[in-house]
Amino acid sequence: MSASRPAPSAALAELLPDVDALVARLDAVDYLADEGLATAMLLALRLPQPLLLEGEAGVGKTEAARALAAALDTPLIRLQCYEGMDSSEALYEWNYPRQLLRIRLAEAEGTRLSEEDLFARDLLLPRPVLQAIEHPGPLPAVLLIDELDRADHDFEAFLLEVLADAAVTIPEIGTVRAAVPPAVVLTSNRTRDLHDALKRRCLYHWIDYPPPEREIEIVRRRVPDAPPALAEDVVAALGRLRAADVQKPPGIAEGIDWLAALRVLGAERLDAQAAERTLGTVLKYREDQEAARAGGLVA
Amino acid sequence: MSGAPSFRRALDRDAPLAAVALGHALRAAGLPVTPERSATFARAAALVGAGERSRLYWAARLSFVTSRAQVDDFDRVFAAVVDGMADPADAQRGDPGAPAIPRPRRPREGAREAPGETAPAAGRPGGASPAGAADDAAAGEGRPVLVGLRAAGASELAGARLDELDAAELALVARLLRGLSAAPPPRRARRTRRSPHGGHLDVHATLRAARRTGGDPVRRLHRRRRVRPRPLVALLDVSGSMAPFARAYLLLLGGAALGARAEAFVFATRLTRVTRPLREGRAGAALARASAAAPDWAGGTHIGEALRAFNDGFGRRGMARDAVVVVLSDGWERGDPALLGREMERLARLAYRIVWVNPRAAAPGFEPVTGGMRAAMPHVDELVSGHSVAALDDVVAAIGRTR
Repeated sequence: MSASRPAPSAALAELLPDVDALVARLDAVDYLADEGLATAMLLALRLPQPLLLEGEAGVGKTEAARALAAALDTPLIRLQCYEGMDSSEALYEWNYPRQLLRIRLAEAEGTRLSEEDLFARDLLLPRPVLQAIEHPGPLPAVLLIDELDRADHDFEAFLLEVLADAAVTIPEIGTVRAAVPPAVVLTSNRTRDLHDALKRRCLYHWIDYPPPEREIEIVRRRVPDAPPALAEDVVAALGRLRAADVQKPPGIAEGIDWLAALRVLGAERLDAQAAERTLGTVLKYREDQEAARAGGLVA
Repeated sequence: MSGAPSFRRALDRDAPLAAVALGHALRAAGLPVTPERSATFARAAALVGAGERSRLYWAARLSFVTSRAQVDDFDRVFAAVVDGMADPADAQRGDPGAPAIPRPRRPREGAREAPGETAPAAGRPGGASPAGAADDAAAGEGRPVLVGLRAAGASELAGARLDELDAAELALVARLLRGLSAAPPPRRARRTRRSPHGGHLDVHATLRAARRTGGDPVRRLHRRRRVRPRPLVALLDVSGSMAPFARAYLLLLGGAALGARAEAFVFATRLTRVTRPLREGRAGAALARASAAAPDWAGGTHIGEALRAFNDGFGRRGMARDAVVVVLSDGWERGDPALLGREMERLARLAYRIVWVNPRAAAPGFEPVTGGMRAAMPHVDELVSGHSVAALDDVVAAIGRTR
């Protein structure tokens, strides 16, 4: 297997010699990565090997892939998984109506139509996986396969087969091999266990909630004009809510929304009144809101 | 004693060997290590540089760990091997006396190790006799999969009453319950999905496919109704009289919450939702949370009020609709039995089936005549005892029965 593994591009090694270089580039696109996640992304790029990210909802899994693409300045190609998805939605599909038109046209004009004309490259509709493989480089595209746990079991095995070779075989055209293998990021919300065969081929990283100081930095990056004290209040409250075992602990995304909402309302600190008016941005269950009010968790 | 530098020196000198040694130690601790992963680690360490401990840590963790649950085990082994409590070469040599490799936390009986997986490196202090496979098979151990509770390893526990288990037995029951899947009967969903054969004709898809064949519908495509698992809701009485059973039942709920996506609640005087802590494997936290919410913990049960809280807050909104509802309680109602009867009736109108698990039902001559039980019985579809390990099989069967 490792014999057939496509080689990473030299441009990549030059751009990202070590973890610190990647951290700096992610920082430049306003994404603050900790050492574990940055190491995971660097290895995913340089080994190269798909990276499986798991973590609580709203902890920044999808955002990590987005930031990686921004840091590389390459396209982010996203494949959102759902139940019943099949290869024509992930790899490619022929543009049947246009093929048919071409046939009808040839019939009307009385010209001969060769098979090559009918299965020409411009009649192929590339779907996300093929798009990522066809990316010319020199830096790899980022292929985000989001919420893989929603897809069917057999689909994930098939997908990883394709990704391992970084090549797609189209019977009518031939094999399309990636000039630069895409950086693959898979995310899962753990609604079901992924197959071992898939896990075997991936690097695995569990994203935890960041420590408070780091989280303050993150939310302030996203809501730059919010007062620093307010950001600190929000992050402290987020910590209390997560510790309080609510139905849906608020993620970083909710924290950012919350801070933005408070800033729009002109709050300077997170007091009881401001919290009451904005609670809906951070707690989305009525029971949670009641528990937070009763326990004095928000302010 | 070899310190941290020794592992790094080994890594410098012979990266594959050091990687394999770490892999062996991790496998002994129960991580699913493959040679491929060790190879990944060797390359990853070379790439990120193994000079700093944290770089080495992440290179190893990313390469070897495949789920969150393994992180703790990984951290222990990594600390032991890299920070120098153990020489990785010991693991390599397979010295049976090697002391420092941490053992998996699972109990010995019925451990899910395939025979080939018990690496010589494991060393198994205090484990089975060194004779190995033959002995294991004779003792009914080391089978790869446990199917039901009556599978290997469970036989001596099958008759044990759930309220008389000691901590070690409880741990074993926890393992057994993990292999026990409580699955409610499926229901037909409104939506349809493509079906290779049978079902009704999918005109849309057939016409769409006909475009490939010049408009002639060569292939007929079908759809049929999707089948979905029914929701499962479990309500567990944790009042004083049920306390001896509560620990074991909580394990059962934990398995159901994970496997069958069940919703789980506990109640004594107040109803507390514990689905989330159970799904995360924190049964202890779930109990603590329930007792915090119920100040008069051992003070008696208000089943009727708990059911009303469930019906009002959750059941009516859809959680109990067409669901299989399991109530685990001895039915010793302190409140008004009439309220219990009314709320059971409401619940019965919502639910598909109601299974009542009452450990007292196993007693000879048991009749559901206590106030609470008598009020509830007209609305209960099936009463099972579930008082012992073997009787839990009946609980699972009752959950799986169709109406």
